[in-house]
Amino acid sequence: MKRYWKFIIPAGIVVVVLVVMVTGLNANLVYFNTPTELGQQQAGDARLRLGGQVVPGTVIDTETGVAFDVTDGREAVSVVHTGAPQQLFQEGIGVVVEGTWDGNEFHSDSMLVKHDENYTSDDGEYDPNHPYGDESDQS
Amino acid sequence: MQSQTRIRRWPWIAIGLSLAVAFTLSMVSPADSVQGDLVRIMYVHVPSAWLAYLAFFVTFIGSVAYLITRSLRWDRIAAASAEIGVYFTGLAIALGMTWAKPTWGVWWTWDARLTLTAIMFFVYLGYLALRRTTDDQVLRAGRASVLGVLGAIQIPLVHFSVIWWRTLHQPPSLVRPDGPAIQDPMMLAALIGGVVAFTIVYVSLMVKRIELIHLEDRKVDMESAVERPVAGEAVTAPELGASS
Repeated sequence: MKRYWKFIIPAGIVVVVLVVMVTGLNANLVYFNTPTELGQQQAGDARLRLGGQVVPGTVIDTETGVAFDVTDGREAVSVVHTGAPQQLFQEGIGVVVEGTWDGNEFHSDSMLVKHDENYTSDDGEYDPNHPYGDESDQS
Repeated sequence: MQSQTRIRRWPWIAIGLSLAVAFTLSMVSPADSVQGDLVRIMYVHVPSAWLAYLAFFVTFIGSVAYLITRSLRWDRIAAASAEIGVYFTGLAIALGMTWAKPTWGVWWTWDARLTLTAIMFFVYLGYLALRRTTDDQVLRAGRASVLGVLGAIQIPLVHFSVIWWRTLHQPPSLVRPDGPAIQDPMMLAALIGGVVAFTIVYVSLMVKRIELIHLEDRKVDMESAVERPVAGEAVTAPELGASS
């Protein structure tokens, strides 16, 4: 009887891990949709995540937040965001917004900034007075 | 007592020196153009995550070697390494969260990398808990080494999660097919310096921890030797004058 514990305990843990992965993670394995994928999504009340690069020159302050375009390099989607943008929000940076898609615009109420794997020190300092970046910086 | 456990001092000196060098490098390197000084968190976060992988891989090697040789030496190595790995997984998660709040905007989110890292953390906490289920060294080594082998599946799963699935967490900056994505030589030096320093910290901690395990096991052996009846129940102590 005692010998079986050697296998039952780890096997139990492995089963729990697999269950958590399959049920909990499955929907999250793909963390966000790209603008191209969003075009194929049905418009409606379903909560979606949209991720991509903020297109330089499209950022407009609105009464309730900020509006901008998000692109994956092929398609671009207009995002109307309600709420304060994140601290690092700027032109050209990656964002993941969460909200609903009406087939024309993406209505977001939650924004995450997606930092990419590039780190540089020489192309300009972060300037809190120009939080969305200077358009001349972006090429 | 056949062997005296040697108490070494060099690991503490090695830890102190390597961390001092890594700290200096991370402080003199420039701020990032997008995230500013927050980039310095990376110089501890990435080495911590690297140590977690290294430590759990050594646990895997130790567990496999134990199952083949049945030598407790290997089990001690696996156990010491798992403890260090759990600590540095926790540190990587804590630092990642500290960085994520000002950068992403949230402390935590359930993307593939973060979720799998959390699972790895708890599985190896489970490994340490499993080791506490018995004092019997052989039984303990047998149970733990099974989990030590199974748990290692998670190392590539966590590392490649950012490549295999679309995550919020960024992909690797250092080890990439087309070279590091860090252009500034001082930033690169700080990151590589951190990785080297933490590797030295790992080796030093391993040496100290295995020393301690030897001492612990010896103490358990000595205690159980005292409690054990001398020759079983066949021999009973002589009794003087039966009580009424």
